[in-house]
Amino acid sequence: MLFILILFISLIAQFFLPWWVITPIAFALAAWNGQSEKKSFWNGFSAIFILWACMSLFRSLPNENLLANRVAQMLMLPDSDLNWLILVLITGVLGGLVAGTAALAGASFKKGFFRRSR
Amino acid sequence: MKSLKPIFTLFLALSLTFALNHKWGNIPPLAKFLDPFQGFWKNAESSNTSPELNLNLEGLQGEVSVQFDNQRIPHIFASNNHDLYFVQGFVTARDRLWQMDFQTRFASGRLSEVIGPKALDIDRFQRRMGMTFGAENMMKTMMADPEIAAMMNAYAEGINAYIQTLKPGDYPIEFKILDYEPENWTPLNSALLLKMMSATLASGSDEFYMSNILKKYGAEVMKDLFPDYPYREEPIIPVGTAWNFKPIPSPNAPANANVGTNASIRTKQKEEGIGSNNWAVSGKKTMSGYPILANDPHLDLTLPAIWYQIQLINQEQNVYGVSIPGAPGVIIGFNQKVAWGVTNVGSDVLDWYQIQFKDQSHQSYWYDNKWQATKKRVETIQVRGAKAITDTVYYTHHGPVVYLEDQKPGNFAKAKNIPEGYALRWIAHEGSNDVRTFYLLNKANNYDDYRKALTYYSAPAQNFLFATVDNDIAITPNGYFPLKWKGQGKFLLDGSNPANEWQGRIPADQNPTVKNPARGFVSSANQFSADPTYPYYLHWEFSGYERGKRINDRLSKMSQITVDSMRNLQNDNYSIFAQNVLSVFVSGVNTAKLNNEERKAFNVVSKWNKFYDAKEIGASIFEIWQKLLSKQIWEDEFGDANTPMRYPSRDRTVQLILAEPQSKWFDNIKTPQKEGLNDLLLSSYKLSIDSLTKKYGPMNDKWQWGHVKHSNVPHLAKIAGFGSKTLFNGGSKTSVNALSESNGPSWRMIVALGKEPKAYGVFPGGQSGNPGSFYYDDMLDTWAEGRLNELLYLRSKDQSSERIISTWKITKK
Repeated sequence: MLFILILFISLIAQFFLPWWVITPIAFALAAWNGQSEKKSFWNGFSAIFILWACMSLFRSLPNENLLANRVAQMLMLPDSDLNWLILVLITGVLGGLVAGTAALAGASFKKGFFRRSR
Repeated sequence: MKSLKPIFTLFLALSLTFALNHKWGNIPPLAKFLDPFQGFWKNAESSNTSPELNLNLEGLQGEVSVQFDNQRIPHIFASNNHDLYFVQGFVTARDRLWQMDFQTRFASGRLSEVIGPKALDIDRFQRRMGMTFGAENMMKTMMADPEIAAMMNAYAEGINAYIQTLKPGDYPIEFKILDYEPENWTPLNSALLLKMMSATLASGSDEFYMSNILKKYGAEVMKDLFPDYPYREEPIIPVGTAWNFKPIPSPNAPANANVGTNASIRTKQKEEGIGSNNWAVSGKKTMSGYPILANDPHLDLTLPAIWYQIQLINQEQNVYGVSIPGAPGVIIGFNQKVAWGVTNVGSDVLDWYQIQFKDQSHQSYWYDNKWQATKKRVETIQVRGAKAITDTVYYTHHGPVVYLEDQKPGNFAKAKNIPEGYALRWIAHEGSNDVRTFYLLNKANNYDDYRKALTYYSAPAQNFLFATVDNDIAITPNGYFPLKWKGQGKFLLDGSNPANEWQGRIPADQNPTVKNPARGFVSSANQFSADPTYPYYLHWEFSGYERGKRINDRLSKMSQITVDSMRNLQNDNYSIFAQNVLSVFVSGVNTAKLNNEERKAFNVVSKWNKFYDAKEIGASIFEIWQKLLSKQIWEDEFGDANTPMRYPSRDRTVQLILAEPQSKWFDNIKTPQKEGLNDLLLSSYKLSIDSLTKKYGPMNDKWQWGHVKHSNVPHLAKIAGFGSKTLFNGGSKTSVNALSESNGPSWRMIVALGKEPKAYGVFPGGQSGNPGSFYYDDMLDTWAEGRLNELLYLRSKDQSSERIISTWKITKK
C-alpha cells in the first residue's frame, strides 16, 4: 500500500513541483502508514525507482536514447552501447535512495513518536 | 534515547535531498539533473514533430505563419517588420537560447556569475578590453536610427516572449548542467554579440613582436624580412583596376613615432585559419547565363552551430540565409534579385599607445604636451559562491588601458597579446550601425542598393561580395578604415603625440572596390585588398595568397559553370603552398643519408599530388615537415624567450627557399658549423618521420592526413559528449577547403541567380542547439562529405512543399 501511495502521489506531484517533493511525500506517507523501517525503506525506494526509471524510459525511447548517450559521455560512464540503460538505472537508484531514506525516517518517526499516542 | 533515531534518519533524508539539489564544483545538482520530470530527460526530444501548432503571443501586431522544413529551418511570413523580427527572435530563442545567453555572458565578462571564480580572468579580460563599452557606444548609434531601433527592440521582445513561456523543466540542458536560469534579453546583448565578431575577426596584433624585432635587428632586417607587400600576391581587387576617385592626403609619418618596448610583455601571434573564401562568377561564364555566388566563412567551429538558417518574408523582402543567433536579419544570404557573402579583411584596426601617467593614481596622462584626465570605469563582477569583485579600468581618449604595469595575470593565454601600460585604440569601441548594412542588403534589388548599404558598415571589415540577377558582380573590401601613414601601427606607438593618432578615415566610397571585371569573376580569400597602387595604407600583412590563387587559377579556366563545379571548388584540397615548395624540398634532401623507413616515407611524399585529401600520407609528412623546417630556419634568431618575437611570414619563408638559397638565415647560429638550406631540409625531414613514427608506429594507415589532422566540432562550453565525433576529413589552412583541426568552413553557400534563385547550403551542425534533438547535428555528415542541401526558398505561405514538416500559426494575444 505504501509503495503504491508513494508512487502515485509522487507521479502527480512531480508534474507541478520540483523533484524534492518526493522527500516530504515519502516521509509523510511512511509516518502515517508505514510498517517496519526496513519495509518502508524498500517501499519508498522501489516506488521512486520504478517511477523515475519508467519516466526516463518514457522520455528517452522516443528520443532513441540520443541525449542519454551524450549525457553518459558527459558523466564519463565507460563507453558502451547500453550506456543509456545504465543512466536509467542510475536515475532510478538515486531517486529511490532519497525516497527510501525519507520513508525510513517517516517510519522511524511513527515508531518513536506517534505509535504511543494512538 | 529512543527519540534520537527518528531525528537522525530525518536529518539523513534531508541532507541527502539537499546534497543532490546542490551543484558541487563542476558536478551538476545530481537528482535535480537526473529527475525525469524536470531534469535533463525532459530535453530528450521525440523524433516526431507535431505538424501544427497555434500560439498566442503578447506584443505581436498581426498574424504570423512559420513553416519549418525538414531541417527545422523556419520560413517566417509576417505582415510587417516588427512581427518579422519579433518572430525571428522567438524561434531563434526556441532553438538557441543557451548559446545566446552564454555568448553574451562571455562577451560582457559575466561568466563568473554562473560558473564561479574560475572565470574571473576571462571576465576581467573582456571588461578591460572594453567589450561592453563598445557595445554601449553601438547602442547609442543604433537607437538613434528609428528603423534599426525598432528592429532591435522587436527582436528582443520576441526572445523575451519565448523566455516567458518557459518553466524550469523547459530550460535548455546546459542551464540544468550549470544550474542557472536564463535572463531577459536586451538589445545591448545583440550589440555585444555583434562586437564579439570584431573580437574574433579583428583583434589580432603583432605590434609588440614587431617592436622587439625592430629593436634587435634594426630597420634593414625589418624591411627585408617583414616587407609591407608580399613576394607573391593576387590582391582581391585585380591588379590594373583603375581607382576612380581623387584620394585625400594621407598623413606623414612623424619622426620617432614608435616606442621602445619593455620586455616583460608578450604577444600572441595572429592565428591563421580565421579566414574565408568567397567568389562570384558572371553570367558569361555560367551555363545558365546568370551569376553564381559562393561563400564559405571559416571560424572556430562549435556546436551548437555558429549560424542559424532562416527565411524572412514580408511585403518588403523575401530573404534567405544565415543569421547570428542573437542578432536580427540575415548576415549572409540571398533574395529574389541578389546574393551576397562576406570574408574577413585583415586591415589594421587595432593599435597600442604607450601611456605615461602622472602618478600612481592614474588620474592624468601626458598628451599633446599637457596632462589630460583619464576616465574611470569601475567594473563590478558578481561571482557565484563568492563575494563580488570590483575592477577599475582607466580610459584615455585613445581607449582603455587594458593592463597597468604588473596588472596582467601571469599565465592567462588570452592576455598574452596585451602590452602593459598601453591604451587600446580599437575600431570595436566605436559607435556603429552595422546592422543597417544587413537590413538594407536583405531587401536590396540591385548594385546601387549594395553600394548604399555598404556605407553604413564599420567593423569587423569584410570583403562584401555581391551578385545580381541583372548580371552585375562586385566585391568591396569594406569597413571603417582609419586613415594612416604607411606602416602606422606596425609597431607600438607613443601615445603622447597627436601625430600618432588615426587621422579620420578613408572615405567610405574610396574603399577598394571592383565591379564586373574583364576576367568575369570576383573573389577573395583574406589576402591583400589591393596592390600597392591603392593610395591608402590598410595593413602591412594579410593572410597568405595561396587560397586566393587557387580559386583564381581554377575560375579563370572554367566556363559553362554550374553549381556543382562551384561545390567542387569549395571542397578543393589542393595546396598552392605545396606546389611552390615541394619539389625544392624533395630535391634538397640527400637521400643517401636516409635509413630504410625514412626512404619509404620519402617515396610517398615525393610522389604526393599536393592535395590534402584525408587518405593522403604525403600530406601528413609534408605538413609536419614544413612546420619543422620553418622552426629550424627561424627559431635560432627569433625564438628568444626574453624578447618575444615572431617569425617572418610563410610568404617570406617561401621566397627565402626559392630565391635566396644561400641566405645567412638558414645557418643555425647556435651551432659552430655552418648550415645551409639542404642541411635543414634533411634534419627537419628526419625529425618529422621520427615524430610520426613515435606517435603512430612505422608508416601505416594511421599516418593518413585525416587521422593526423583529427578534425572535430567541439561543444561551445567544451562539454564532453556534446561535441561531434572525430571526422576523417581532408583540407588544410592553405587549401580552399580550409578545414584544420576544428577551424574551417562554418557555412558553405552557393546561390545560382536566375528567374528564380536556386540556392544550396550546409553548416557543420544543425538548427537546434539542443544536444537531445535530432536537429542538433543533422547537417554534419552532409557537410563533412562535401555535399550541400538545396535550400527551400518559399514564395508564399500557401505554396505547398513536401519538405514542410510543421506549421505554426501565431496570433496576437
